[in-house]
Amino acid sequence: MSFDEAFDVIVIGAGHAGCEAASASARLGANTCLITLNLDLIGQMSCNPAVGGIAKGHLVREVDALGGIMGRVIDQAGIQFRLLNRSRGPAVQSPRAQADRMQYRGEMRHTLEATDGLHLRQGKVVNLLLDGQRVQGVELEDGRQFLSSAVVIATGTFLNGLIHTGRRTYSAGRAGEPASIELAEALKNIGFPVGRLKTGTPPRLDGRTIDWDAFEPQPGDERPVPFSFSTDHISQRQIQCFVGYTNQSVHAFIRQNISESPLYSGKIKGVGPRYCPSIEDKVVKFAGKDRHQLFLEPEGHDTNEVYLNGFSTSLPAELQQELVRMIPGLGQANIIRPGYAIEYDFVDPRELGPDLQTRRISGLFHAGQINGTTGYEEAACQGLVAGVNAAFFVQRRPGFRLLREESYIGVLVEDLITQGVDEPYRMFTSRAENRLVLRHDNADERLRGYGRQIGLVDDRDWSRYTARRLRLEEIRAALDTTRLKRSDPQYAAVAGVLDTDLGDSISLAQLAKRPGVSADLISSLLPTRVHMAAHDPDLQSALADSLYAGYLESHNATVTRLFQHDGLRIPPDTHFGEISGLSNEIVERLERARPTTFGAARRIPGLTPGALSTLLVFLTARQRAAA
Amino acid sequence: MSTIVALSTPRGRGAIGVIRLSGPSASSIVQSLTRYQHEFEPRKATLVQLHCGPGNTIIDEVLITYFKSPNSLTGEDLFEIACHGSPAVIRQVIDTSLSLGARLAGPGEFTLRALSNGKIDLAEAEAIRDLIDSQTEAAARQAARQLGGELSKALEPLKNSLLEVIVILESALEFVEDDLPAASQNEIEDTLKTVSKKLDHWTKSYAAGHLLHDGVKVAITGRPNVGKSSLFNKLVERDRAIVTDVPGTTRDTLTEAIDIGGIPVVLTDTAGLRTSVDDIETLGIARAEQAMSDADLILLVIDGSVPTTTDDEKLISDTANARRLLVVNKSDLTTFSPEAANGDTGLKVSAKTGEGIDALRCAILAAFDSKGVESGGLLITNARHHDLLARSKREVDAAIQLLGERRSEELILVPLHNGLRLLGEITGETTSEEILSRVFATFCIGK
Repeated sequence: MSFDEAFDVIVIGAGHAGCEAASASARLGANTCLITLNLDLIGQMSCNPAVGGIAKGHLVREVDALGGIMGRVIDQAGIQFRLLNRSRGPAVQSPRAQADRMQYRGEMRHTLEATDGLHLRQGKVVNLLLDGQRVQGVELEDGRQFLSSAVVIATGTFLNGLIHTGRRTYSAGRAGEPASIELAEALKNIGFPVGRLKTGTPPRLDGRTIDWDAFEPQPGDERPVPFSFSTDHISQRQIQCFVGYTNQSVHAFIRQNISESPLYSGKIKGVGPRYCPSIEDKVVKFAGKDRHQLFLEPEGHDTNEVYLNGFSTSLPAELQQELVRMIPGLGQANIIRPGYAIEYDFVDPRELGPDLQTRRISGLFHAGQINGTTGYEEAACQGLVAGVNAAFFVQRRPGFRLLREESYIGVLVEDLITQGVDEPYRMFTSRAENRLVLRHDNADERLRGYGRQIGLVDDRDWSRYTARRLRLEEIRAALDTTRLKRSDPQYAAVAGVLDTDLGDSISLAQLAKRPGVSADLISSLLPTRVHMAAHDPDLQSALADSLYAGYLESHNATVTRLFQHDGLRIPPDTHFGEISGLSNEIVERLERARPTTFGAARRIPGLTPGALSTLLVFLTARQRAAA
Repeated sequence: MSTIVALSTPRGRGAIGVIRLSGPSASSIVQSLTRYQHEFEPRKATLVQLHCGPGNTIIDEVLITYFKSPNSLTGEDLFEIACHGSPAVIRQVIDTSLSLGARLAGPGEFTLRALSNGKIDLAEAEAIRDLIDSQTEAAARQAARQLGGELSKALEPLKNSLLEVIVILESALEFVEDDLPAASQNEIEDTLKTVSKKLDHWTKSYAAGHLLHDGVKVAITGRPNVGKSSLFNKLVERDRAIVTDVPGTTRDTLTEAIDIGGIPVVLTDTAGLRTSVDDIETLGIARAEQAMSDADLILLVIDGSVPTTTDDEKLISDTANARRLLVVNKSDLTTFSPEAANGDTGLKVSAKTGEGIDALRCAILAAFDSKGVESGGLLITNARHHDLLARSKREVDAAIQLLGERRSEELILVPLHNGLRLLGEITGETTSEEILSRVFATFCIGK
């Protein structure tokens, strides 16, 4: 066979997963090709123009700590930054930013084009070229064949995409773009189990036709917190978003026309995310609620387009227009692009190993919505993991994986590959057992070292990080050694504010754990040598460590006692069917999930305590036999 | 690695009972239990006295065999304590080991340690796995028979209440941008307090149900010279304690294992409680207080022949929340009045003549009657269940405390999730997916 071009790694799709994958792979020295249907839509935000949010912001920080690109790009293109959950503890705070949609694309494309060894190609992949159980390259619609040792599929909603508005349906990957039907067929033919998911998007409005005074402005933070550990400050001009509400007449209109919605007429077979319901779902399932919240999110500095967040719908376009005008403040509003629902194929992620490589075809990696996830951030972190591992696969370096104990990325990958998905998978902080440890502000302390080892963190970022570590150590030492004594002039005031006895002397680290102690207070008590502003990120991180220290002990005590065997490895060549004493049903569940640790097995739904103890004994015995 | 302890012979009465202790602190625990001055010689049985419980009294003479790491079943330091088969003594030994830092072994845990330390090879492991299977089956059958799944069922409402609170708190911090109804701190607190109360209740039902099976600890207490030692001698049916007219004669605690109506009872006589200037008596009083706090039942003795003193009244109020029987002694004297005790009616007895002693024995048994606990006939009899419920209650109480301090949700959720996990060890685990499902069913989430 002759090939038109040859690469080490080919990435299909230039969305948020594909961009991270291609960037990581190329920077690791693999000659990488990124193929997209439309070069002008690299890094397209096909749904809401925002990055981050609770748990999602954590993912972006982790991607950045490992040396990924999403954090840097949004810091350039962000037009409204907010740190969510400011009133709560640091572990559940998370950054979020509105993006200038066009600027984000431009910034992403610029970043990729500036990467050595990364080649952009426009085209449509219609088939995978295989050599037995090994991937060998891809075939394009125009007949060209590209050779590669590894392929990352990151095709988003394009696999067999089908758009619904009202009773109309048409094949598309996104509004106005063709779906990937042949590639979806190719995956089915290989034998991958394929399912169907659904997601939706709201209408976009012409900003000039909105009565802005009818909405409540929602400003961003005065001091924007950047996503990237490499960003010093946000220089972009910041904008406001606006909050409004639906009313009863909107709800009544939806109910009258509910049969027009493909969700309720039975046309849509795919499962949609429960945490991102359409307005039809909200009105029907929560009929008791007399209004639903809406956000008006400007899509950028240089456009009038406004995203009507909270109003995802697949009603017919003409009804959408009527409906929007019933919303207070939108009486004159024009829809620029109607909302729609889209169904697409995903491949059961239990087909994957922890490196996101398929077990069926070696050298083939899946990342993003093809694995049943939703969200740009979820996609980006998988892209990073798949891109690194594709390059490592080519370079014969051992696979890179993260554990759920140390990162949200580890939680996401393990959940996907052992539990599969029933609905689009989104990250929540409650999915992470180690929530108090996995803070957004310490993502660098958790993962920067890995990023450096992998080879994605350059010298500049690494020295920046080591400097920060030194500062953190100094602050931590100061918190431990500085004591507030009864004889100190500030003592009475502090004890008075807290309305509690502090003893004869208390370290600042201990004081920081007390309820009602603010960063301002601690900051005012620090010795002048290390004195720093209360909002300083280093002080914030050190205080968070102090705050959670005691809880971590209590959490760890319970968890280690109950789950002490969780770390036990399950060798990849384990044949669960050969473990006598396991029922067929249990064997089937284990074979489908292929857990890599005992902890992962424990989290598989339906595994009985008896089956788990049998597995545990088997593993322990085998481990001994091997040693 | 923690040190584990368990009774290795079948429960119930036997000639001897063997308790196993395995782990890094097994050695120091056994040293504390025995006060043995020398190193135990490996693989040799040593006869020693066992000091346990209140005042560290000698409760048994036992044979101890030491298996030094790695030459033991588990590969760790392992001790086998062969004691006389009284369930009360066995329980005392295990309780004391727990207080010294051991924890109860889980099912099959000794075997598991043996496996992980390479004491058993693959073939043996196969056999043991089959055994564990059969044990699991047997345990399942037994659980089904004894409880009919009732415990799980009974715990379900508690688990649901916990989940309800978890869902509210998780939603509040996970979906900040959603328009969720504000959570009421008071309602959450009420729900948690109810859960805590019920968990406490179940824990106590274990005390009632299980003690009857494994033996109960009864302490005789009261101010000096009310006749505690006479009563003790009467109940043990021999002159074990020295009895004089001098108040404060009993300086140390005395313990005897007796049998009341087939129930094993460890009876402890204590020094009279008063403020003393005498060092030895003060020490005795401290031990008496220890015995009281360890006891499953306190017999508070009052002298009915004289008016109650402030010491009496203090003891009555101090023990008001404990499982307690008021015993009004000296009914043989002419000045006796049974209403002596502050309007509280007590059991009329004469330790001298034996009047009322049988009634007292009945009252001791009745104090452990399961009907005393409103548990709908269901009693916690499994030590592991009891342990899990008690720990779960502590977690819920910690959450209530944090809620009161107006802490952020993620902190309050730490003990709540711990509590749920502990209950999950009985009822089956709640996955984070299930919690999320409830969130979505409860609130309209999502932009």
